[in-house]
Amino acid sequence: MLGPDTAWYLAVAAVLFGIGALGVLIRRNTLVVLLSLELMLNAGNLALIALSRHFHNGAGQIFALSVMAVAASEVCVGLGLVVALNRRRLSLDVDSLSELRG
Amino acid sequence: MTGGSWLCLLAPLGGTIVITLCGTRIPRVAAAWIATTSCFVAFGGAVWAFLALRGERCVHLHSLVCTQPPHLTTAWTWLQSGTFHVGLTLLVDQLSTVMMLIVSGVGGLIVLYSIGYMEGDPEERRYFAYIAFFVFSMLLLVEGGNLLLLLVGWGLVGLSSYLLIGFWHERPSAVQAAKKAFVMNAFGDATMALAFFIVIAHTHSLSFGSFGYAGFSQTARDLIALGLLGGAAAKSAQIPLQTWLPDAMEGPTPVSALIHAATMVTAGVYLIARTHPIFEQARTIELIAAGTGALTLLVAGLIALVQVDIKRVIAYSTMSQIGYMFLGAGVGAYANGMFHLLTHAFFKALLFMTAGLAIHALGGEQDIRKMRGIGRLMPFTKWCFLAGALALVGIPPFSGFFSKDSIVASAAALGTWYGWIFWVCGIVGAFLTGLYTFRLWFLVFPGEPSPFVREHHHRHGRWEGSLTMLVPVGVLAVLATVGGWLQWSPRWTPFTDWLAPAARTLPAAVPTNTQEYYTSAATVIAGLVGIVIAWAIYAERRRLAVPGAPFWRRTLEEKFYFDLLYDRIFYTPAVWISGALRREFEEPVVLQTGTDLGETTLATGSVVRRIQTGFLRTYVLFLAAGAAGVVLAFLIAK
Repeated sequence: MLGPDTAWYLAVAAVLFGIGALGVLIRRNTLVVLLSLELMLNAGNLALIALSRHFHNGAGQIFALSVMAVAASEVCVGLGLVVALNRRRLSLDVDSLSELRG
Repeated sequence: MTGGSWLCLLAPLGGTIVITLCGTRIPRVAAAWIATTSCFVAFGGAVWAFLALRGERCVHLHSLVCTQPPHLTTAWTWLQSGTFHVGLTLLVDQLSTVMMLIVSGVGGLIVLYSIGYMEGDPEERRYFAYIAFFVFSMLLLVEGGNLLLLLVGWGLVGLSSYLLIGFWHERPSAVQAAKKAFVMNAFGDATMALAFFIVIAHTHSLSFGSFGYAGFSQTARDLIALGLLGGAAAKSAQIPLQTWLPDAMEGPTPVSALIHAATMVTAGVYLIARTHPIFEQARTIELIAAGTGALTLLVAGLIALVQVDIKRVIAYSTMSQIGYMFLGAGVGAYANGMFHLLTHAFFKALLFMTAGLAIHALGGEQDIRKMRGIGRLMPFTKWCFLAGALALVGIPPFSGFFSKDSIVASAAALGTWYGWIFWVCGIVGAFLTGLYTFRLWFLVFPGEPSPFVREHHHRHGRWEGSLTMLVPVGVLAVLATVGGWLQWSPRWTPFTDWLAPAARTLPAAVPTNTQEYYTSAATVIAGLVGIVIAWAIYAERRRLAVPGAPFWRRTLEEKFYFDLLYDRIFYTPAVWISGALRREFEEPVVLQTGTDLGETTLATGSVVRRIQTGFLRTYVLFLAAGAAGVVLAFLIAK
C-alpha cells in the first residue's frame, strides 16, 4: 500500500472537522461560519475516501460525491442568504440574528 | 282496509311536513287549512278502514261471537336483532278503528276550531305544524301493530303534548307546566319500557300476541301489568301521577280540548283495553287499576269543587271521568270504558271549546268569579255548554248517561266487597260531577252580566266567534247529545258487540238487568241531587267556595297537597344534592383541575423556554454535544 497509513488520514480529517466546528461555534461573521461548515463537510469527505480505500469498497467514494453535491447546494443557499441579508443592509453578525429567542 | 289505515296515519304527518317545509312562504290561513284538511283526510281513511272491517263476514268459530283475526299490515322490518324483529306494522281491528275514528274525527273538529281561536297569533304556523304532528302521533299510538310502535306513539304524543303546552313559550308558567307534563309522562314511558323488556326476555317478541305466552311466571305477569299500568296512569293523569294535567291548561284552549280531554289522556284506557290479556292474567293489578280510577274520580271531583279557573275545573273533571274509564277497564268491562271514552271525547271537547269561546270573547280571562252572566251575551255558547254539562253529569238522554251508568253497573256486577266499594265511589262521583259542573254553570252563565263581563266582552265578527269556531262546537253539541244513543245496555249494545272480538268484556263484569236499572237510577238521582245542591248554593246565594270547614277547603285548594309532597320528596332533595355536588365536587375538582393544568403548563414553559436563546452557536453547540454524546455512547457500548 502506497503512502501513509489510513489512521493519518483519519487524524487529519478529525483535525479539520474540529477546526470547522470551532469556527462555527466561535466566529460571528456569517461568511466565515459558512466556510467553517464547508471545512467540516470536507473533513467528512476525507474520512469517507480514506476508509473507502482502506476497505476496498467504492461506496465511500460515491458518498463523498453526494456530499459534494449537497455541499454545493448548501453553499448556494447560504451565500444566497448572505446576499439577501446584505441587500437589506442587515448586519452579517450571526449573534444579532436572534429572532428565534424564546 | 289497510289502505285506509295508512292514509289515516300518514295524512297528518304529511300536513306537518308540508307546513314545516313551506315555513313563511305560505300565509297563516293556508297552514291552518292544511292541518285541518290533513286531519279530515285522516278521518276519511279511518271511515274507509271502519267500513271495510264492518263489511267483512263474521267467522263464528267456537262461540256465538264474531271472531275475526286482526289485520296486520307491515311496511318493512324496522329493527332486527337475531330472532327478535319488529316491523313498521299497523293493526286494524275493532278497537283501533274506534280509536282512529275518535282521534281523527274529534281531532279534525278541534283543529278546525283552532283556526278561529289562534287567529292573529304570531306563530300560528308552528301551532298548526305541532297539532297535526300530535294527531299523527296519536294515530301511531292507536294503530301501532306491536308494542314497540305503541311505545313510539306513546313517546311522540308526550313530546307533542310538551310542545303544545309550552306553545306560548314566553310565559314562564307555560314552560314550567310543559316540563312537568314531560317529566311525569317520561316516568310512565320508563315503566312501560321496563315491562316490555320483561316481555322480550320471556317471549323474544313484542307483538300483541306475546301476552298469550304461557311461560310467564306470576311475578313476571304482575310486573308487566304493573309497568303498563304505570304508563297508563302517567298518560291518563291518574293518582299518583296526576299533578301535571291541571298545569297543562297553560296551553291554548283547543290543545286542552284535543290533548287533555279528547285523545291523549284517554290513551291509558286504550292501553288497558289493548293489553287486556296480560291484565286478566294479573287480576290483582287490574283491580289496582280499577281502584286507582275510583280513587282518582273522587279526589279529582272534590278538588274541582274549589277551583276558580274555568279550564282547571274542566281539567279536574277530565281526570275524574278518566277515573271512571279506568274503573270500567279495570273491572274488565273494556267496552264500557271505551264507550265512555267515546262520549267523553264528545262532551269534554265541547265543554273545553265553549269555555274557549267565552275566554276568547273576554280577551283571555279564565277566572270564573269574574265571568258571571256571560250567557246573556252569548246564548249559543250557553246552550252548547249546557248540553255538554248535562252529558257530563249523565242526565238522560244526553250521552254521558249511557256510558257512565254501565261502568258503575259493571262494578256492581263483580259482586265482591271491592266491587261494591267501586260502585259507591261511582255513585258519589256522579254526585260530585253534578255539583262541580253546575257550580261552574251557575257561576258563569245565567244571571245578569257582571261589570267585568260588560266591560271586557267583545264580539269577533257577526256571531259569538268566527264560523270555524262555531261549526265544530255545534257539531260536537249534537254529538254530545245523541252520541250515547249508540248503546243502551242491556237492551241495545252494538258498541260492545263491535268491540267484542278485540276486547271482550269479562263475564264477571257483565251486570244483570236489575243491576243496570238500579245503578242507572242511582247515578241519575245522585247527579240530580248534585245539580240541585249546586243550584241552592251557587245560583241563589252566589257563594264562591265550598261552605263549611276551612280545613277541608284549604286541603282542596291545595289539591290534597300532592304538589307540595312531590316538591318535598323529589324536588327539594334533588336541588340539595346538586348543590352539594357543585360545592363539594365540581368547584374544587372539575373547575380547579382546568386552572391547575393551565398554570402548570405556563410555569413549566417559562422555565424551559430559556433554552431557546436565539444564538446560532448555542444550537450548534447542542448539536455537537448531542453528536459527541452519541459517539461516546457507541464507544462505551463497544
